[in-house]
Amino acid sequence: MGALETLIMKSTSDGNRQSKSGQAAVWQARLIMLVMINIAQLWILAATVDAALARHYSVLLPLVIASGLCFVITLSIIKWWRPTSRKKTSSGYVREDR
Amino acid sequence: MNSNKNLSETIRRIVADEELSDERDVRAATAPFQAEFPYEREEEAQVTRREFCNFLGLTSAALFVGATGFAAKAALDSRKSESLAAARIDGAEILTPNSSLNFSYPTERDSAILVRTVDGAYHAYGQKCTHLSCPVYYSRDHQRLECPCHEGAFDVATGGVLYGPPPRALDAIEIETRDGQVWAIGRSPSAPKDGSS
Repeated sequence: MGALETLIMKSTSDGNRQSKSGQAAVWQARLIMLVMINIAQLWILAATVDAALARHYSVLLPLVIASGLCFVITLSIIKWWRPTSRKKTSSGYVREDR
Repeated sequence: MNSNKNLSETIRRIVADEELSDERDVRAATAPFQAEFPYEREEEAQVTRREFCNFLGLTSAALFVGATGFAAKAALDSRKSESLAAARIDGAEILTPNSSLNFSYPTERDSAILVRTVDGAYHAYGQKCTHLSCPVYYSRDHQRLECPCHEGAFDVATGGVLYGPPPRALDAIEIETRDGQVWAIGRSPSAPKDGSS
């Protein structure tokens, strides 16, 4: 096996590993954020029920707006907050599309 | 020859930039029957991160819809003003002091409670606790209305909260006595404890 080939093999393997671990970190971060937002929304729903039963109508609208905001953030995370590029270079760094 | 093949394979992998599955812990086929009945194990075995993300998104949507629906219903109910027909409360006239009677007012679905206190006065309230809508009952020993779910208590004369988690007084049902019979003539929702609305 030639030196060039060995070098390419090694760098490709390292690059794939680094890139995959980076993607996994992004996925983990996305999941953690989504779970936290879901917990916040659950709290907001409980507060809404509480306010409605207590007839505190003035706080209902802010609670609904907060829940909607959480939903929009969730959608944005699912739709747009992804790893920037999947193109891997031989050195393992992620290259952005131009 | 062999090294050329390896180099080509390496270049092919770089150029192809294959999208690899992010599932690293898919169960392997171990039992004999799994070999006899092959199927796409990777799709079946576990929930993928993508599926879990989508599930969380759907949950978020459901929570938003729930909060909106609950708030909308409460706001609509607060604006609803209806004139209620008077209804006779059967059995009220033979109610002994320090006892209670359940009835429905204004509709069959709205349960209410009529209490005759020790001094002979009648008081009627909606039976739903203002905390989480459990039915309240009259405690003869303590002479107060009590909620068994979260241990809230209401004053029998005013319907006000004595202690516990309820945020406001019970809805009062207006009653009057006509020819010795007790009639329910209206229902007035109570205000929040701090007076805000």
